[in-house]
Amino acid sequence: MHTCPTFNASATLLADLTASPQGGAFLSATADPAAQTLNGFLAQVERPAFRMAQMALRHDEDALDAVQDAMLQLARRYASRPSAEWRPLFYRILENRIRDLQRRRTVRSRIMAFMPWRDSDDAEADPVQRAPDLAPGPAAQVEGGQLGVALHNAIGLLPARQREAFLLRSLEGMDVAATARAMGCSEGSVKTHYSRAVHSLRAQLGEFMT
Amino acid sequence: MNKDEDTSAFEQRAGELLRESANNLDAATRSRLTQARHIALAAHGGHPASTRPGWLDRRVLAPGGALAAMVLMAVLLWSGPGQAPVKDAGAALEDLELLADSDGYDISQEPDLDFIEWAAAMGETDPVGS
Repeated sequence: MHTCPTFNASATLLADLTASPQGGAFLSATADPAAQTLNGFLAQVERPAFRMAQMALRHDEDALDAVQDAMLQLARRYASRPSAEWRPLFYRILENRIRDLQRRRTVRSRIMAFMPWRDSDDAEADPVQRAPDLAPGPAAQVEGGQLGVALHNAIGLLPARQREAFLLRSLEGMDVAATARAMGCSEGSVKTHYSRAVHSLRAQLGEFMT
Repeated sequence: MNKDEDTSAFEQRAGELLRESANNLDAATRSRLTQARHIALAAHGGHPASTRPGWLDRRVLAPGGALAAMVLMAVLLWSGPGQAPVKDAGAALEDLELLADSDGYDISQEPDLDFIEWAAAMGETDPVGS
């Protein structure tokens, strides 16, 4: 896995913090009950959050960046809020960050396609989108014992709101009310998005998963 | 087994697979997530935990980005001798403005006060995750 510049800068910062006199204060901050609570919460959500971002962005580095930014924003802006509010806030921040990255990727692709020196046959600029899809279909993946991979791929192809509702409910285990808070919509909308996601996934993978 | 039972079993199995995949991340990814968490905790502790070097400060990047966008626009719009005029220049200009907009990222970083108030009100009556 390659290391992106943004993450390198952050890792360098962490090394500086821990090596400096103030770094001692940072490490001892874990003795602070508030910091401990925040640490526990972030440790709990970091892996599901990474999987969610990975399925949405289909790019490991971008997914790590999205999770890191969501953690930072939560710590900086919302850590003083009651910890019961953190989970929907965190996932709302994460989804916003995912959309930022997707939007910038789309714009970058359009800019590159507009370049006058580009070959007109090579209009699609995003290397992720240009790469030939060598992955086997869901049935072949299941036969190869890759049911999890097939599920990830199928979820990644869902519309954004359906993907979000399905993952918050299935992976994070949120109830409908908490999912609605995280998505900024009504509980009825959550149920609709979730139901459509299940229907779509079941149509592709149902026979292998029940 | 009827359709509802099938769906329920499907949802249960999907949840198991997803949680399993989240718990089985490779060591390198786990390590980097831990680093990210520590950086967030440092920011919480009052340290200026920036994710970019100081020389990449927005106040330095914004004017530079705007200048670069203008130069790029000039290059894109310039139709050399014998070349066809550039089409859809308006759309390209909008895209360049978006890329050069140093405040664009902050759209999602601004506190959403309405949401916070609403979440607080909901949290009092219905604890999150319950």
